[in-house]
Amino acid sequence: MEYILEVFLDDYRLNKIKGSPVEQNIEAIFGGELKVLRVKVGEEVKNEILKAFETARIDSRACITDTPVAFKRALFEEIAKQKSLGEEVVKAVLAKIEEIKQLAAKESEYLPPPDIETD
Amino acid sequence: MSELYFKRPMPHGGKLVERVITDKKVAKKYLKACEKYCAVYDIKPTLHYKRGVPVRNVYREIMSVCYGFFSPVEGSMTSAELESVLTKRRLLSGWVFPYPILFDISKEDFKRLGVSEGDRLILRLKGKPFAMLDIEEIYEIDPEELANRTFGSPETNPEVVQEKFDDKHPGWVIYRSHQPIILAGKYTIINEPIFKPPFDRFWVPPRKCREIFEQRGWRTAIAHQTRNVPHVGHEFLMKNAAYTGDVEPCHGILVNAIIGVKRRGDYPDEAILEAHEAVHKAGYIKPERHMVTFTLWDMRYGNPLESLLHGIIRQNMGCTHHMFGRDHAAVGEYYDKFATQILWLKGIPSYGFDKPVNEVEGGLLIRPQNMREFWYCPVCKEMAYSENCNHSKQKEKLSGSLIRGLVAEGVQPPTVIMRPEVFKVVVKWWKKFGYPFVNEKYVQWKEEELEVDLPDLD
Repeated sequence: MEYILEVFLDDYRLNKIKGSPVEQNIEAIFGGELKVLRVKVGEEVKNEILKAFETARIDSRACITDTPVAFKRALFEEIAKQKSLGEEVVKAVLAKIEEIKQLAAKESEYLPPPDIETD
Repeated sequence: MSELYFKRPMPHGGKLVERVITDKKVAKKYLKACEKYCAVYDIKPTLHYKRGVPVRNVYREIMSVCYGFFSPVEGSMTSAELESVLTKRRLLSGWVFPYPILFDISKEDFKRLGVSEGDRLILRLKGKPFAMLDIEEIYEIDPEELANRTFGSPETNPEVVQEKFDDKHPGWVIYRSHQPIILAGKYTIINEPIFKPPFDRFWVPPRKCREIFEQRGWRTAIAHQTRNVPHVGHEFLMKNAAYTGDVEPCHGILVNAIIGVKRRGDYPDEAILEAHEAVHKAGYIKPERHMVTFTLWDMRYGNPLESLLHGIIRQNMGCTHHMFGRDHAAVGEYYDKFATQILWLKGIPSYGFDKPVNEVEGGLLIRPQNMREFWYCPVCKEMAYSENCNHSKQKEKLSGSLIRGLVAEGVQPPTVIMRPEVFKVVVKWWKKFGYPFVNEKYVQWKEEELEVDLPDLD
């Protein structure tokens, strides 16, 4: 079975991959309101991710979700670096797993809230 | 026409359990009489049997029993009642009930208390008198056996159980973490806790809820179970499920959130309640037709079993219907995704239901409204129901996880996924807790603070 890692793109990320081959793989979803890149992985890599991060899970769309922000950030950086959406980008991220876990541990205490007005 | 109208169902078991002494003078008398002869026990959270983090607080069960959410259950179960629940999912009276409800203490505490059958135990919460337990029976359990028998296994419940329950399942962990000595007997609250904001706005026990339905003229009301902040898929589930009713769509939608210890990655309870409120405050559903409430319960994530408890709670609150979706109250792959719907449509013999829940003796009167899925369809350009929309190849599924991913990265979800007013509520509590989701720090804080304070009885 194939599993999917989604990487959402804001303006910063869109700029970073502008002109690269992966730009052609950007998908617009939810009526064009959200832009996303999808990386497909097999059973083995999926299991490695679930093993590495206690919070990670598979949702009803076969997407691997609830991975730490540090992992997602590293995944995007690797995509931008390798200009690829192949499984090798995930493997490259998993090679730095200890470093990512350390960052993730800090993230489980605090995440900066977006600067929007609340009541 | 009136013969086509649905009647509000009676409480499960025939009458609402109400075991709360509201008159402080009477409560003080009870306490005074107890001073010489009753032992006192300070309620403490149940800690994870391996990791030591809070996974449950029995005070929530005492509240839900005494205010009638769990009617006809009146207290901590005797050994015979426990056996009946585990083997047949029935109380000794014959009424359906899915889960063990137990007051458990350690062997050390039992020795220290020196109580025996026939004694009354005063239960303190946050250092103040809270409730009494009239001990009918004292017995010992094996927590691992309790946890295994509560949920079953692929061998004993092959119709719906797919994986062996283990310490990754939060409900199994709760029962596995129970202390071995059970004090069985009826609870009575002698000092009504005061809910803190924002919980105070949403505390509507069954009797009060039925009164509100009457005042609002809600002949029919459909319950929506939640442990999440609502995304637009939830909103469409509520709106569309509510088209059922009798001769017209349901008059009311009762959102009933389960409030208690949550998993890491869930949203904080405060955000869940206010986010649902935001749906009607912002007019996506008229406030006259939508009410947000909660039940105190540390969720067991037992999919079909949990749906039975949900049916009981909401029938007790006066609902005529209950919506059930895919993966109801589920976690992981332990159950078939539609286990709850199987239970309510066909029954699950191995859990004691050879017929649907509404057709067995001692069963429920609340009607299930079993719904499939909602997704965003880029062809229809709307939130579509899976059994209507034939663009399944193009479908874009919403999931809580997808939204959590966006939120964690600080990306505001598009309006078509999450209403901006709902997102604002998420951010409001994010600012308060420094984190958008439940983390260990929140769980520790919440389990120290709880949802309530206790007034002085003096």
